[in-house]
Amino acid sequence: MNLLNYVPGDSFLHKLNPVTKLLAAFLYGIAAIICGNVFAEVGLIILMILISATCGIAKRAILLTRNLFFLGLIMFVIQLFFVRDGEPLAVIGGFVLFTTGGLKSALLLSLRVIAAMLPLMLLFAITQMNDLCNALVKRLHLPYRYAFIVTTAFRFVPIFATEFHDIQDAQKARGVDFDTKNIFRKIGLVAPLCVPLLVSSLKKVDVSAMSAEMRGFELRGYKSGYKEYPFGVRDLVTVAVLVALIAITALWGA
Amino acid sequence: MISVKNLGFVYQGGKSAALDGINIEIADGDFVGITGTSGAGKTTFTFALSGIIPQKIKGDFYGAVTVDGVDTAVHPAEEFARKVGQVFQDIDSQMVASVVEDEILFGLENFGVPYEEIAKRVDRVLKDLGIEDLRDREIEGLSGGQKQKVAIASILALEPEVIVLDEPTGELDPESSREIFKILTDLNREKGITVIIVEQKIMLLCEYVKHMMVLDKGKIAFYGTPGDMASSIDTFKDLGINVPRVTELSASLISEKIYDGEVTLTVDEAEKMVRRILK
Ligand SMILES: Nc1ncnc2c1ncn2[C@@H]1O[C@H](COP(=O)(O)OP(=O)(O)OP(=O)(O)O)[C@@H](O)[C@H]1O
Ligand SMILES: [Mg+2]
Repeated sequence: MNLLNYVPGDSFLHKLNPVTKLLAAFLYGIAAIICGNVFAEVGLIILMILISATCGIAKRAILLTRNLFFLGLIMFVIQLFFVRDGEPLAVIGGFVLFTTGGLKSALLLSLRVIAAMLPLMLLFAITQMNDLCNALVKRLHLPYRYAFIVTTAFRFVPIFATEFHDIQDAQKARGVDFDTKNIFRKIGLVAPLCVPLLVSSLKKVDVSAMSAEMRGFELRGYKSGYKEYPFGVRDLVTVAVLVALIAITALWGA
Repeated sequence: MISVKNLGFVYQGGKSAALDGINIEIADGDFVGITGTSGAGKTTFTFALSGIIPQKIKGDFYGAVTVDGVDTAVHPAEEFARKVGQVFQDIDSQMVASVVEDEILFGLENFGVPYEEIAKRVDRVLKDLGIEDLRDREIEGLSGGQKQKVAIASILALEPEVIVLDEPTGELDPESSREIFKILTDLNREKGITVIIVEQKIMLLCEYVKHMMVLDKGKIAFYGTPGDMASSIDTFKDLGINVPRVTELSASLISEKIYDGEVTLTVDEAEKMVRRILK
């Protein structure tokens, strides 16, 4: 399963203006960043999963949390050994391995990373990239060129993946065995495929650019978009709720 | 009318000419099929018609291509798209959106087509291609044939006078390939759109096109109606292009004076011919 795919639906959050969705994800991230309490941070993660459930993407949220957990773990380890204040907690032969302060800030940082990233990643599940792009251009007058580059990059991920599999299959047909357990051997086998992948990818990007240009890409301005992306009461409510969330975490969770 | 005079093109860094001394006139409302071996210059030729060559791809360009008197080398290619629409060989990369409707909207929005007109045109092209039910679908999940129809619809929405398609059936099964040709035939007949299509399956060309062009090493090796093929069977054989067996059969029956009708291009016609001979 692709964890960044759009999941169709018509929940409250699905129907928000794409700009609001993006803003809301950022505000939620800000709440996670100012939050200084381990339990409140866990609360923010759980709350996010519950919110996801209202749009039918709870499973996706849980999978993403699990994946982000590994990222959190790396942050945790680094932070654990670098922050040295508080009481020594683990001592080996007179050498202080880590301290209470280290443990606390490591735990907090890793949870914060998860809580802040989760809403941003879930944004893609309830927003069509095209809508986000067009709404940013229409409402915020972001130059279309940049919005287009970002959406195209996202669109090309699965195309490149297919391309990679095709090239791999071609190699398999020539007797190359990719099913090795040895990671170094695997890297040795996959690395040479990067060149043909790069070449064919560049060709594809070229065709894409040409196709866009031949359909008047250059003529496009922020007024060009056909679909309107009006803001509604829904959007106002969402932003108000998130501002309140930030206020609450700032007051009690810091 | 499309007029091609002494067209030649050498890609930047290319060793030999991709196109060399092409002369041809294509009338409004024609349906031209282009075939030829890989590397013969088919794609390059379609690019020259839409102005991509020499405007977007650099190289040495010779001669002139004009569409209704407008020079494709000079007139801005992006505006030209409203006259000559190009469907590219690589079906996935030419898409610019992830949802069918957005793909069709793209050109209409860019060219500043009025709001009410956009809605009408989207409805119309979806209907013309029989893909109304795909409107809100993600392009990634569509079949090859469906994707191809979306690509054609997004060009057709711009209401070009000429539509140029580069191997649109290359990755399709026989059934969907035929369907694409049927759609193009309808567009050609009912709307008078000039269709220029690159196609490897010669049977399909014989059945649907009005004129056929065979390219070889950047030159025109054959140009005529599918019926004219019969007199050039040797040319085709030399180029490694298989003439439909029914055509070959009827041509030899005619030259042996066993049959005095026209050459047959389809199995149906051949069946009629055989029945007549046997009578
Ligand atoms: N971007 C390029 N740079 C240099 N040479 C090129 C480029 N594109 C094509 N050529 C060369 O120009 C010649 C004609 O290519 P073209 O793509 O027009 O052939 P084609 O008939 O469309 O082939 P195919 O059936 O494989 O699509 C070939 O020899 C090819 O190698
Ligand atoms: Mg080609």
